[in-house]
Amino acid sequence: MTRGAPIADDLALACHSDHCITCGDEGVPMRVLAVDAGRSLALCARADDDRARDTIEIALVEPVAPGDRLLVHAGVALVRLEAEGAGAAPPTEDPA
Amino acid sequence: MRFVDEFRDAELGRAVATEILGAVEPGRHYKLMEVCGGHTHSIYKYGVDDLLPENVELVHGPGCPVCVIPMGRVDDGIALARRPEVIFTCFGDMLRVPGSDGSLLEAKAAGADVRMVYSPLDALRIAKANPEREVVFFAIGFETTAPSTALTLKRARVEDVRNFSCMCNHVTIVPPLRALLDSPDLRLDGFIGPGHVSTVVGARPFAFIPADYGKPVVIAGFEPLDILHAIRMLLAQLADGRCAVENQYTRVVPWEGNRRALEAMAEVFELRPHFEWRGLGFISQSGLRLSDAYADLDAERRFDVPGVRVADPKACQCGEVLKGVIKPWECKVFGTACTPERPIGTCMVSSEGACAAYYNFGRFARGEREAV
Repeated sequence: MTRGAPIADDLALACHSDHCITCGDEGVPMRVLAVDAGRSLALCARADDDRARDTIEIALVEPVAPGDRLLVHAGVALVRLEAEGAGAAPPTEDPA
Repeated sequence: MRFVDEFRDAELGRAVATEILGAVEPGRHYKLMEVCGGHTHSIYKYGVDDLLPENVELVHGPGCPVCVIPMGRVDDGIALARRPEVIFTCFGDMLRVPGSDGSLLEAKAAGADVRMVYSPLDALRIAKANPEREVVFFAIGFETTAPSTALTLKRARVEDVRNFSCMCNHVTIVPPLRALLDSPDLRLDGFIGPGHVSTVVGARPFAFIPADYGKPVVIAGFEPLDILHAIRMLLAQLADGRCAVENQYTRVVPWEGNRRALEAMAEVFELRPHFEWRGLGFISQSGLRLSDAYADLDAERRFDVPGVRVADPKACQCGEVLKGVIKPWECKVFGTACTPERPIGTCMVSSEGACAAYYNFGRFARGEREAV
């Protein structure tokens, strides 16, 4: 058997934060800092903490530019927060 | 912070609460289900339920994938994690979920190489950095999370990362809602719909709830004002005798969802004929597996996975909690044998689980708010 990363690290991070990643249906607002369009990746910072940065998959919301704000879940941007229509109003005639 | 701060305004919250008070009919009991665990967490974190009239009851739904994963799937994951060639990656929420013989964290303590990741992309990076090892990603989540798995598998294919595979436990939201609506145990008046699932699937998939069952749905965001506003919208529909799908979370949820995400999911996944849900049993076409085109990246086909079925512990009443039949504090082991530190049931493991939300925010019984 091989040994992984120290257990204490995972214990500290597992499920003691405000939200779980998967089940929280969590969306984190992030701001785009730099874009690698060729690989559909962007370096982003959390909207509430500029030091919290991560590489985010942007294939679902391309094209994006530095300064854009994205809603990110599990490393993937799901929606552009400022984009026209991203927060579209429901149809006046409800489909139901 | 924009999109957040303005939805935590206490004055506005009290104003909406006053509107809610004016919208309820005296003598009528309203039972509204928040589908998503994120809503449950927010409701107790911000004390939203304390602002509601006594006759508006919030019932907590099955929208926490960790809470609904059956024990057998955890055991299957642990069996994979124990293989010496495997680096097993999963979200932190999964680490403490008990299987029949311990959790992934305990397997890690015993020597298995289990690593927590924040996204499937992290798991792919680990695979590229460890070409001599097999890296398995334990994929779990509703339609919010499934696109990230789909895109990662597509990326693994493009970048020809052959030592990466996925044990897929993704589930879809509509079948369990239909199962709940068909359940004779439960009489609901309306639904607070899942906000971020809807960024992917849109609002349209929920149209069957008003059409087939005559119940209103309001898709809601996760800040306290979002939830209060959604409740206000549901009560307005009930007062008017209407039932429709409405979108409270318009700043984020497009009516049609995210087409690219749905296309990626359609390419990578296919529906399982049946999938087992904790507390709800087998539900047809409710789980996803990798499509034949991605069979080579399917950990269940690459490795010999036991495929065990394990009954839930007898003391655990997660099933009834997940169906909203009982409140967490009505469970026999809530807060005694089952705590977030030593959970018996999944609802106590995940911070989005109804039991953990009740426990962490001091709701040991109706009306009590003592600190833990």
